[in-house]
Amino acid sequence: MALAWLLLLLLQVLGDAGVCFAGAGVIDEAQTTTRDAAPSYARELQPLLQAKCGRCHGEKDRKAALDLRTSAGIRRGGESGPVISPRRPDESPLYLRVQAGEMPPDPADALSAEQLDLIRRWVAAGAPFDLDDHDSPPAVPSQHDVVPILLRRCAPCHGRNRQESMLDLRSKPSMLRGGKSGPAIVPGNPDVSLLIQRVVAGEMPPHERLVEVSVKPIEPLEIETLRQWIAAGAPEVTEEVVLEPGDFPEGTDPLVPTAERDFWAFQTPCAAVVPTVSHRERARNPVDAFLLQKQEEVGLKLSPDSERSVLLRRASFDLTGLPPEPDDVESFLSDDLPDAFERLLDRLFGSPRFGERWARYWLDAAGYADSEGKREQDLPRPHAWRYRDYVIRSTNADVPFDQFLLQQIAGDELTDYEAASEITPEVYDNLVATGFLRMAPDATWANITGYLPDRIDVIADEVDILGSAVLGLSIKCARCHSHKFDPIPQRDYYRLLAVFRGAYDEYDWLKPDVRAGLGPVSQDIVGGRLLPFVTTAERRAWELRESELTRQLAEAKAAGAPADRIRDLESSRQAEPMIQALWDRGDPTTTYIYRRGDPLNPGRMVRPGVPSVLTGWTAPYEVRSPWPAARATGRRLAFARWLTDPQHPLTARVQVNQIWKHHFGSGLVRSLGNFGRAGTPPTHPELLDWLAREFIERGWNRKRIHRHMLTGSVYRQSSAVDEQLARVDPQNDRYTRMPMVRLSAEALYDTLHFVAGSLNEERFGPAVDLQAREDGLITPAEQSRARRRLIYVKQLRKKLATHLENFDYPQMNPNCLERRDSLVAPQALYLMNNGTVHELAERFADRIGQIAADDVTRQVEQVYWIAMGRPPVETERVLGREAIEQLAKSWSQSDGAGAETNDPAAHRRALASFCRAILNSAGFLYID
Amino acid sequence: MNDCVPDNGGISGSRRDFFQSVSGGIFGAALASLLSQDVGPVRGLAAESRQVDSPPSLNYLQPRSPPFAARATSIIHLFMNGGPSQMDLFDPKPYLDQHHGEPFFDKIAGEVENPQSAGKVMRSPFKFARHGECGMWVSDAMPQLAGRVDDLALIRSMATTNLTHEPAVYLIQTGKMGPGRPTLGSWVVYGLGSECQDLPGYVVLDDPLGLPVNGVENWHSGFLPPAYQGTRFRSTGSPVLNLRPDVPQPEQVVRAERDLRRRLDDLHRRERPGQPVLDARIASYELAARMQMATSDALDVSQETASTLAMYGIGQAPTDSYGRRCLIARRLVERGVRFVQLYINGQIWDNHTGLATDMKAACDRTDRPIAGLLADLKQRGLFNNTLVVWGGEFGRLPIAQLPADKDERKAGRDHNKNAFCCWMAGAGVRGGVTIGATDELGLAAVENKVTVPDWHATILHLLGLHHDDLFVLENGLKERLTGVTDARVVQELLA
Repeated sequence: MALAWLLLLLLQVLGDAGVCFAGAGVIDEAQTTTRDAAPSYARELQPLLQAKCGRCHGEKDRKAALDLRTSAGIRRGGESGPVISPRRPDESPLYLRVQAGEMPPDPADALSAEQLDLIRRWVAAGAPFDLDDHDSPPAVPSQHDVVPILLRRCAPCHGRNRQESMLDLRSKPSMLRGGKSGPAIVPGNPDVSLLIQRVVAGEMPPHERLVEVSVKPIEPLEIETLRQWIAAGAPEVTEEVVLEPGDFPEGTDPLVPTAERDFWAFQTPCAAVVPTVSHRERARNPVDAFLLQKQEEVGLKLSPDSERSVLLRRASFDLTGLPPEPDDVESFLSDDLPDAFERLLDRLFGSPRFGERWARYWLDAAGYADSEGKREQDLPRPHAWRYRDYVIRSTNADVPFDQFLLQQIAGDELTDYEAASEITPEVYDNLVATGFLRMAPDATWANITGYLPDRIDVIADEVDILGSAVLGLSIKCARCHSHKFDPIPQRDYYRLLAVFRGAYDEYDWLKPDVRAGLGPVSQDIVGGRLLPFVTTAERRAWELRESELTRQLAEAKAAGAPADRIRDLESSRQAEPMIQALWDRGDPTTTYIYRRGDPLNPGRMVRPGVPSVLTGWTAPYEVRSPWPAARATGRRLAFARWLTDPQHPLTARVQVNQIWKHHFGSGLVRSLGNFGRAGTPPTHPELLDWLAREFIERGWNRKRIHRHMLTGSVYRQSSAVDEQLARVDPQNDRYTRMPMVRLSAEALYDTLHFVAGSLNEERFGPAVDLQAREDGLITPAEQSRARRRLIYVKQLRKKLATHLENFDYPQMNPNCLERRDSLVAPQALYLMNNGTVHELAERFADRIGQIAADDVTRQVEQVYWIAMGRPPVETERVLGREAIEQLAKSWSQSDGAGAETNDPAAHRRALASFCRAILNSAGFLYID
Repeated sequence: MNDCVPDNGGISGSRRDFFQSVSGGIFGAALASLLSQDVGPVRGLAAESRQVDSPPSLNYLQPRSPPFAARATSIIHLFMNGGPSQMDLFDPKPYLDQHHGEPFFDKIAGEVENPQSAGKVMRSPFKFARHGECGMWVSDAMPQLAGRVDDLALIRSMATTNLTHEPAVYLIQTGKMGPGRPTLGSWVVYGLGSECQDLPGYVVLDDPLGLPVNGVENWHSGFLPPAYQGTRFRSTGSPVLNLRPDVPQPEQVVRAERDLRRRLDDLHRRERPGQPVLDARIASYELAARMQMATSDALDVSQETASTLAMYGIGQAPTDSYGRRCLIARRLVERGVRFVQLYINGQIWDNHTGLATDMKAACDRTDRPIAGLLADLKQRGLFNNTLVVWGGEFGRLPIAQLPADKDERKAGRDHNKNAFCCWMAGAGVRGGVTIGATDELGLAAVENKVTVPDWHATILHLLGLHHDDLFVLENGLKERLTGVTDARVVQELLA
């Protein structure tokens, strides 16, 4: 008795499976209902639902994929499953939502108490559909109800990658074919079907091995569905309920009503006419004109140009992340030609430092990290750096953005790399670029965090990254329900998942690569996420080196060389060069909508497709095989081509907006990752569209867009705020001045090393290690490569460089579109007290000492040239001189040498103290 | 419940008032700009505050009155990483005694992390008795706490959603099973600021012996500014990172350098009117200096009497280390720190084996310090405004987990997400109540189940915050501690 009760209890507690096949139950019960006392569906319910609900849940507009006008629609339910539970009004969403006042949303449509009671009585009576009951036979499960069960409970051992007992349970034909013990099913006879027998006996899936393959036990309801399906003869339906946008005549997709497509962000950007403005003298280019137009509306205009030195420092940090070289300072400040600034920009755009600065923004948006995160082990991603290098190189080379995106979303489908006789740098880039889709935090390498929901979380993070960084839509909301503000039905979320299915299939999962010593690991890792297709040149060089080592080792052993010589040789072996990539493996499983986001509750099947609301402008999404007889599906390639279609409503807008934000402090659309209705509308829609069209039509050339933004008067403006600006444009919505900004974590770190003369500008390659000090401070490890720019230092999700965290260095979970700009006391503590800063200040002082010898005035000047990119003004010169002398006195007093001595050691220390004060000063940390 | 709002120019009225009520006075740029990021509609605030001629301040931590009456103004979270065993501490199960040794694994196979070492139904090695006037059941593993049960509200029906440490710890700390979200402490300080401006609003006292699972992510502020991140105070060495110079300098040099920096910043600022961030930055250096003093003072337990030290078990093995942290926690809330979080090394409660010995050792290290803390708070009147929260990330299974040699005497218990216990005490909490129930085995919460979001909502409620109204706008979406799920305040627990 107790055990039976317990079993029931367990069912309840552990059975988060929900309703697997509620549809059948609904109708069965409805048919057995006595109808005498029940309200009539046709006479009473149907007219009520039509009137109150039909506008949004009808034929043309079918919110939540729910049609409440017809009995068929009510029976089918919506995207979250059934809406009625016969006889149980208190478990019927239709009744509950209305009762709670959530539906209908417009209070004017609210139901009266009698009407509400009518629904209650009807459901309580079994929800009988009096008129047409005999027309619709009770539904039986089809392969679409059964296959997801088998995929989640059985396929890890009886599926694509493993067929234990030679059995594959993924389709009806393979079930009929069966395995070693015979066919798995006997249609029409569940009791003799081996599948049912084994499962009912509790032999399958085997309890002891569940965790090993990250599978949960099969639920009684699932067994019942299997049984019903077999009993009904294992029917396979070919007709699906049509719900794809393409299944309707154009513009009549009931899940995305026409009216909702009118929102500005869903229209293709149109070239705006550059306005004429009054302050023509300030309008150096079209960007200025668009801004001036809005400023003049409120009697403002662009602020005056900044001083040369301010402009130089601003542009230098902005484009390279470092202060100007002292030589540049002198030449720019003395360059009197009118195009001096344009030529400065050319030099900065041409600098390899440009890519190191601007790649960072894309890496933030992509969520770049050198580890998997989520688990204690923070599994390393030792090959991720190739993607980082690819982004830096592409940024420097100004690879057109459409190609940049194409490579990252479908690089593997651009060339038949497996058949290529040579892996060229181009093919290599295509594969490395797909690392973009491998950036989400991921703990699925471990059995216990590798279950279906864990895998789906990884995919969801990738969709979130793609949605926020590329599409500018919070598409992630539609994972569990249709989007509440934007016309993105849940169906479209899952159609998008189907696009990625060839590579991201939760039923056919490639796990991150695990090295030894990280605890229990699944047996079914099928090859990991690495591809060996580095360039043929790199591979040959590696092979040569390895075979040479092998030869030397053999020789050394033969010659009886000492053990440490052998060990040295062994340890100089290098790991095989690999690429962390994403590739289509072909033959993806069917994609089903997960009701309420729950993989245990699959709904309708969907085909790959793009969000319906974004269609109509672009060429349609059409999947073609990327090359003859390709294994890859071509789904992602079609998606990438759609994204980069010149008429795409969002791709270009989202990118120019991000670039704008990083130059001017706020986006034209403030919510960088959300152009939908819950985001903020653009402050300058015409400018946004002008930039977007310019971007698209001039070859998606990013540096050209930068130039548009930087060569105008807007970028040259002073950052000074006077009373009028503070009053009329307090938030700088009209861009009437440049924002004053703090150095980013990277700029600060790099610049501290730069001024100290110790920045190692070696580029590219494996990431620099981090080390944790005993007190918890984490810094780049002190080795020869430690003084490289921060972008080359490991970015570990669970071990952030602590001192930089306080300067808003992001933890990637999953990505970061916009960093905070914080001001906290630990920043001050770090700059005042940290040993590394102290040491760098001393190096800085040594460098100054070498240039300026003992001449205190020159020392002060050099400090300003190098740290501030300008000479000191008179007050600063005087203050600096006095301070150094005062500090020297303090040092020699504390050395016990008396106040008046001219101790060179005290002077050296005084200069270091002065340098440190400069590195702590607002003038150093803020850019005007 | 809407989880997202369009930027319609309107946030909920109470929320707007909430921030406007703190927008005057010394509110400067930092919070104003924070506000403009967080709650778009509060535009124009920067301009207003700019005209307020008052001393600049680092205003992230400006104390803010909660929207409705708070019962607690400070909170001490005693986080018990590892999953303390409910049926060996607070939830006696006679069924386990009666059915000890019976097989059960097959019925819960999907709920066991380590099937290979799963054993039979296992009775508790500890003895239970009723205590206090309320008659609450506590096992003999925690004799000191048993003497204070009349102050505790015990929840026996906690349930979480994952049986692996990392996701379960993320969930209880941040409301989501993955990394990247602000922790409870960050949300609280974001919502309420701190009463003490010379110390961080959210202080973490971690164990010198090691960090909990998920390390520093346990006090990360996620997408909230780092001002809301927990600050680790170490009991040895420099208590806060970079609090003291790595390379000490003579006092007069430090002074001269500080004067120079001030003069440089003054010069810089004078040239740039209308940039309140520069005032705030100067203030941040002043705060840094004050922090150096205030931190040392707060950590100096030598100011305490011998009898106080004894209450916490300081000076005695094995309670000394945790006892010090408990005492420091009291000293911090005394000074107005909003949120204090205590850790104990690694996962001493993760008793996969050696339940009888290892779990007892965990109790021995914490039992007296915690009972001492409760008594001390009470005797100083701090119990009226301090909420104390005890608990881990999940519970344990009623079946045995066997060591490699299958020796049942060394058995432990595996993880269990469907039931665990936690308790609260202090401000606003009804003492002596036992809330909820598990099934006969203690396997799953069946009566009055309390989810992790419920637990969060209850804590926020005690602090005067409503979980639905405490949010930040991220990319147009309302992000909350309790996420998109409905959460309820556990009313039975409120005094």
